[in-house]
Amino acid sequence: MSDDPTGQPDERFDGRVDTDGVARQRPVYTESQVIMTTVKAVIPFVMTYGLFITFHGADTPGGGFQGGAIIASVVLMIAFAFGIESTRAWLANSTVVGLGTAGVFLFGAIGFGPILLGENFLEYTAYYPVFGDLLGLKEYEFVKYGMEVVEIVGIAFIVSGILMGLFFALAAGDSHSEPSEADLREGDLRDGADSATLGGESDD
Amino acid sequence: MTSFLSPTVIQSVGITPIEIALFVFILITAVLTALFRDVLAAIVIFAAYSLGLAVVYTFYRAPDVGLTEAAIGAGVTTVFLLLTIAKTTRPPTDELFEPINWPAVAVCGFFALVVGSTLTAFPAVGDPNSPILTNPEVTGYYLENAYDETGAKNAVTSVLAAYRGFDTFGEAVVVFAAGIASLLVLGREVFTA
Repeated sequence: MSDDPTGQPDERFDGRVDTDGVARQRPVYTESQVIMTTVKAVIPFVMTYGLFITFHGADTPGGGFQGGAIIASVVLMIAFAFGIESTRAWLANSTVVGLGTAGVFLFGAIGFGPILLGENFLEYTAYYPVFGDLLGLKEYEFVKYGMEVVEIVGIAFIVSGILMGLFFALAAGDSHSEPSEADLREGDLRDGADSATLGGESDD
Repeated sequence: MTSFLSPTVIQSVGITPIEIALFVFILITAVLTALFRDVLAAIVIFAAYSLGLAVVYTFYRAPDVGLTEAAIGAGVTTVFLLLTIAKTTRPPTDELFEPINWPAVAVCGFFALVVGSTLTAFPAVGDPNSPILTNPEVTGYYLENAYDETGAKNAVTSVLAAYRGFDTFGEAVVVFAAGIASLLVLGREVFTA
């Protein structure tokens, strides 16, 4: 987390055309002052918009799913500007996994809680006799704030965490496949991805 | 809320030139996505197709769906597809378009005809006699009672998070399962370092 993701063009790949012209590949990451500066300027606004969409989902279009996707896109933009591998090193795996699992766990807890209290699944008003005096809320407010918790802590956490995770999983690629000739030629790119995986396993 | 969805407002929508332009745009981008030889070009056009769909959803007063299509379809999916082609090699070519596979066109055309033949069963856009407006037992209930019962001004959210919360829980778990499945398929234990 302490690493600044700037200035590490470690995934630079020159996108050369092979001499026999059989295959070509675009560079995975090109360090660009324009993209980095633009992303730095845009990120606060995108993050604010994502949080607004999430927190305001009960009153305006949007909600946890859309807001979570926009929040995850902040990390995707950082990765495109500063390099996927340096962003991977900067973003802890426990953050990504924690967002997803905490979302499922809290949504499930709020949903199944009323069943333990003798009501139906996600019957928010079942919490009123238990927590009504403690929280000082009226019965209908339990529905309102229960929905907010499900939208924000449940869905937005799951979607943002899993979309970030899918991005990095796709970027790392398949660990089963043997390195082919093409992979060996692109040694610098493959080494970065593989060492990240090995480091992550021991980190667990 | 009720005035925004009243039958008179919906009736007055009709098909406008902007909508026709959007439909033509969506059709062209969909066909070009299939035709372009260069995968990068196809992905960029596919993103434009998603963005066009998002605008159409917004036009038909479904801003929640439009927002999702813009964020997921045009945004995140495009990034994932770009990431995928960055890790693959493509044969060099000077051709702009893919050679057309006529048997595939025949199959797709037949499928489109079969699906298209059901279009006449749909009511016209904004038709006040459509079943959803003449028989509004379910939708009418949500629109009338959602605010009183849930305190949410956005009826869509009240349906998703309260009335149909069980479905939403299932969907959220599906997203979670997709993350786990990607790790399983790729044979990894962690997303990031």
